[in-house]
Amino acid sequence: MTYNLGISKMDELIGDIKGGTNIMMIGPPMSGKDDITNIIAYHGLINKNAAVIVSTREPGKNVLDWFENRALGIPPEHIGIVDCVTRTLGFGAPDTENIKMASSPVDLTGIGVKISQFFERFWMEMQIKETRLCINSLSTILMYSNLQTVFRFLHVFTGRVKAANMLGVYVIEDGMHDDKTIVTLKQLFDGMIEIRGDDGDYQIRAIGLSPKPTPWFDYEIDGVNIVLRG
Amino acid sequence: MMVETGIPALDKHLHGGVPQGKSLLYYADPGVECNVFGMQTVHRALSEGGRGIYVTSSTDPRMIRDLFEEFGWGAGEYGDRFTIVDGFSGLIGANSPEQYVVPNPDDAGSMTQSIKQMMEDVCEPSVIVFESLSTIMDLCGESATLDAIEEWNKYAMLYDHVIVYNFTAWPYSEDTLAHVKETICNSVVLIGGIAAKVIFGQYFGVKKTDWDEATKKCTLYKVLKPGGVRVYLPKILVTGPFDAGKTTFVHALSTKAVSVDRLGTTVALDYGHVDHSGFTADIFGTPGQERFDPIVKLLSGEAMGVFLILDSTNTNDFARAKRMLEITESIGLPVVIVANKQDMKGALVPEEIRRKLGMTDDVPIMPVVAASCEGVFEAFDVLVDRVMEVDST
Ligand SMILES: Nc1nc2c(ncn2[C@@H]2O[C@H](COP(=O)(O)OP(=O)(O)OP(=O)(O)O)[C@@H](O)[C@H]2O)c(=O)[nH]1
Ligand SMILES: [Mg+2]
Repeated sequence: MTYNLGISKMDELIGDIKGGTNIMMIGPPMSGKDDITNIIAYHGLINKNAAVIVSTREPGKNVLDWFENRALGIPPEHIGIVDCVTRTLGFGAPDTENIKMASSPVDLTGIGVKISQFFERFWMEMQIKETRLCINSLSTILMYSNLQTVFRFLHVFTGRVKAANMLGVYVIEDGMHDDKTIVTLKQLFDGMIEIRGDDGDYQIRAIGLSPKPTPWFDYEIDGVNIVLRG
Repeated sequence: MMVETGIPALDKHLHGGVPQGKSLLYYADPGVECNVFGMQTVHRALSEGGRGIYVTSSTDPRMIRDLFEEFGWGAGEYGDRFTIVDGFSGLIGANSPEQYVVPNPDDAGSMTQSIKQMMEDVCEPSVIVFESLSTIMDLCGESATLDAIEEWNKYAMLYDHVIVYNFTAWPYSEDTLAHVKETICNSVVLIGGIAAKVIFGQYFGVKKTDWDEATKKCTLYKVLKPGGVRVYLPKILVTGPFDAGKTTFVHALSTKAVSVDRLGTTVALDYGHVDHSGFTADIFGTPGQERFDPIVKLLSGEAMGVFLILDSTNTNDFARAKRMLEITESIGLPVVIVANKQDMKGALVPEEIRRKLGMTDDVPIMPVVAASCEGVFEAFDVLVDRVMEVDST
């Protein structure tokens, strides 16, 4: 069971990522982390993987729209979104096939339950063994819960990703957290996707997924493609 | 006086429920749906005309009633017997419409103040449910919370309240988890997941009570919307001779059912999903004709109980019926014999059937008219009782 990110040149350099790998994606605001996360999920979906996306900043509906608007030819029943936003806005939306509601980013119990329910559905009922878990983003969760709490939560779910040979991607805003937070959380991950830059001029690289870090690439996001230059 | 949890099988294990003035902790594995237990318990109190208090920690109070409605519990009808202590809004700096608002939910002292205030105001014995003790612990710190709980429990005892905590067992320190599990509450119910790669089944079981010798057994459950916690019987078999009424019986019991029939006879199986009196079961009907016996064998693996359906007017088939019981290897599994078609002329009464079959007294024979649903749920209750008994030994 192996995975690719769907970022062409980088995938070639990294080779297959083995099942059970947990990756932290860290980058500055506005660098397109939402798109990149969704594209990694999308790349799984076109290959018949399932994707569970925990959304802490966008209502689940928006995330689903992203896929419906851009990504043709993916099986919609393979998408599971855990929405941590809608209920904090005071909307009593019930769960749907694709979107399950957690109460808030504080509700780690509920987020955990909903992730587990999607895992069960994909693995047991639909017999899909390749699933990608994307948490976008840990930074929101860290606004409401302290580092230790988030660490415990991640300890459980990175463990489950490992046990079930899934791929985990966890997004963090660069510059929002102190070094201790980043260093502590890094222990839970096998590798990182790093993004740097500003003002529409960003570079991306992967660390820890291959013997040495990939070079920095300039990139542009075009629909469901991340176009690397350099 | 006992306060019921609202989960009948659990109340049975607890010998009736939780005595007034005592505390109960629902201790859950991460990822296993646990908040519904506390909600069901407070709903039970409210639907019995009592008072219920819900202390929220991670949910906007405007959403709480909706959450109850999702389970089909008419929170709108609770009126002012239902009180929310809002331990959430303070966290995100939102205004709260609730009477009791914890100004600083990340401070155990502030929590205690609001909770005490509420308990003093609501002096009639009530059920107080904490949405998430683990969240409070995360916010206020482990030792401060453990100390505070002691105070809340004492206060609750003073006013004869029953106090209930939902707790998610994140990987806290061994000491903390042991302390939560062993000492802070009068009783603990463990809620766990059956896991192989992913969690695919859930169970609950009483870990301890200090007022009685509780039944310690694990019970499978599912959470239904609407419905809440239901004891789950993954496989109940419905077997019996050709044309006895198996398909009719499965459909009569089920909220949804499918059958694979050809020309009015079952060629593969009947499948139905039952939701009745706190139980949910998947039931599988076998074909009746002898040529399908290999399928019957296949279907009978891992069954938890068996209905044997008989056409009460057709004594010719009784020998076949007994043989089918053997095929399913179900002798030894709990069995209920369903004496079907009691509406037809010449139907034998259960006792005559017992004699003709040479069945001992310990196998119940229930009179049923599957075609008009008469007696089907009574038969279900009897089988469930027997399955649960076997389960507990
Ligand atoms: N009068 C009466 N007829 C019934 C009753 N239950 C079932 N029947 C009839 O009996 C016939 C057989 O019913 P089914 O439910 O198909 O029986 P079955 O056991 O599934 O039959 P096979 O799958 O062919 O073995 C049908 O015509 C039903 O309408 C009953 O309680 N009373
Ligand atoms: Mg049939």
